[in-house]
Amino acid sequence: MIESAPGQSLASGGSTPPVFLRGATWLGSLKLTLALLVLLVPAIVLAYNSEAWRSWPLAVPLTGLALNLLAALASNPAFRRQTALIVFHLALVALLLLIAAGRVSYLKGTLEVTEGAWFEGGALTSTDAARWHVGDLDQVRFTNLGFTIDYAPGIRRDTTRNRVGWIDESGRMREATVGDQYPLVLEGYRFYTSFNKGFAPTFTFTPAGGQAILGAVHLPSYPIHEYEQTREWSLPGTRRTLWILLDFDETILDPAQPSAFRVPSDFRVIVRDDAERWELRPGESIDLPEGRLELVGLRTWMGYNVFYDWTLPWLAATAALAVISLGWHFATKFRRKAWDA
Amino acid sequence: MERELQILWAAIVAYVLGGVLAIFGVALGRRQGRFVLGLLLAGMALHTASLALRWQRLEHGPFITLFEILSSNVWSLMLVFLVAYWRIPKIRPSAAVVMPVLFVLMGWLMLAHPGEGHFPPTYRTPWLFIHIGMAKVFLGATLVALGIAGIVLLRRFGIAKQRFATLPDDRRLDELAYRFMALALVFDTLMLITGAIWAQDAWGRYWAWDPLETWSFVTWLLLAFAIHLRLTYRPQPVRNAWMIVAVFVLAFLTFFGVPFVSESPHKGAV
Repeated sequence: MIESAPGQSLASGGSTPPVFLRGATWLGSLKLTLALLVLLVPAIVLAYNSEAWRSWPLAVPLTGLALNLLAALASNPAFRRQTALIVFHLALVALLLLIAAGRVSYLKGTLEVTEGAWFEGGALTSTDAARWHVGDLDQVRFTNLGFTIDYAPGIRRDTTRNRVGWIDESGRMREATVGDQYPLVLEGYRFYTSFNKGFAPTFTFTPAGGQAILGAVHLPSYPIHEYEQTREWSLPGTRRTLWILLDFDETILDPAQPSAFRVPSDFRVIVRDDAERWELRPGESIDLPEGRLELVGLRTWMGYNVFYDWTLPWLAATAALAVISLGWHFATKFRRKAWDA
Repeated sequence: MERELQILWAAIVAYVLGGVLAIFGVALGRRQGRFVLGLLLAGMALHTASLALRWQRLEHGPFITLFEILSSNVWSLMLVFLVAYWRIPKIRPSAAVVMPVLFVLMGWLMLAHPGEGHFPPTYRTPWLFIHIGMAKVFLGATLVALGIAGIVLLRRFGIAKQRFATLPDDRRLDELAYRFMALALVFDTLMLITGAIWAQDAWGRYWAWDPLETWSFVTWLLLAFAIHLRLTYRPQPVRNAWMIVAVFVLAFLTFFGVPFVSESPHKGAV
């Protein structure tokens, strides 16, 4: 929205302007702005259709637009007189730079934490980190203190309330409720609860002559995998793999009425090792060649999405600056003449 | 639910009568601005009552189902147009262009099922109202610009010459349409920013190239292109009018086309 009359010479003075100024005038022309905006459309189509095309095809016209703007600033006196408009356009360039900075330093990932257990930093189920990710995930620790999820009739997920705890800088234990659009934010990492959550049979395994080890088996997400509540589990410190199945008859989520996610009150865990099969209730144990396995109980686990992008507050501030300056520009411009004149 | 539907149908009857009167007024060269305004205001009052009853019954705003989205958009578009109609009397004949667009939405609304939908937990945030509010003002401003552009185009085709002869010349109308396009750009920008903030909270990312995000961005680009084009080449008002039509068509398809053909998380969240 650089305003100058059509064909107006942007360089002052009557003689032929120097080559660099003619170059800047061409590079800063509104005609080039229009051409670059048109060029942006196929880049957007590519970005929309393929994740692989979300960098260079977009970077070329956007860099062109940024250069176009800087050249316009250098060569167009009419543009330089409109402060709010300049601020708006520079804010757009700043947004592009911040987005680019975010793209090369972000981290996205998923993790699962058993109720009562701690996330000890670093160990994510899946990770997508940019080349220059600079965060310090290893320093992040929090504990999942349990959750409630309401379900509307038809088993439609409603509000998630997940109690979490962490130790702050002063060494004090802090607690908060997160869920849905309210993430836990630690060291710049934003932990969002996800639809992915389920049951976790919890065992203690006591190797012969060793210390008891507490372990939990995260069964597939519930209720999506309601009829597949099984998982293979490697016994800690051994090569033995057990097949674990959670069995219960209760209706946890009733499609006919509002309900809430909870662990079944009456359940049994079936453990199978090749041809052998055991049914365990809490407190019951089995003896294996490597040691004793005892079912402690049934807990839940929560799946989290983690997102890190240090540019987020800067993006918000820059976007606010952009829209305020745009509004200011038009308000100043339109104030000169009444709308119904 | 029956009462709120009866009130809604009464509102639509008032809107249709007002719109038909506006169209005939333009076609026959008669000034019927006050009657039209009265009917549209009556429709607006009834429509507001219907939406309020539904809101009270369901304990959430009209943001979920196709029926609710269409109804709330007819309401907001009508509100923006009525403000322009009231404050800028010179553009009142543009009702003959604007009302047929709203008739399309009303017809679609009458065919939509009025049943209720599930209100997702991520909608329990002030950003819902801010984002959707910005979107509605954006589309409303574009609709008013379309109405003004429509006068320029109808005049070009020699339609309703008598009534349009009393209106400001094309240059003045073009300038007024540009103002509404500028207003649309500001609110479209706000819509994108607030949408990104909400998406970051709701889905853990501020931009994911989902269909609605992408088409909204393309609409913003076309709007920016139209404004830059006007400043670069100073085209004739008729050409600017066609550009406004193109922007409105794209914005309309983004609002009412993309959310109902896409299965993305953004589905229906207009």
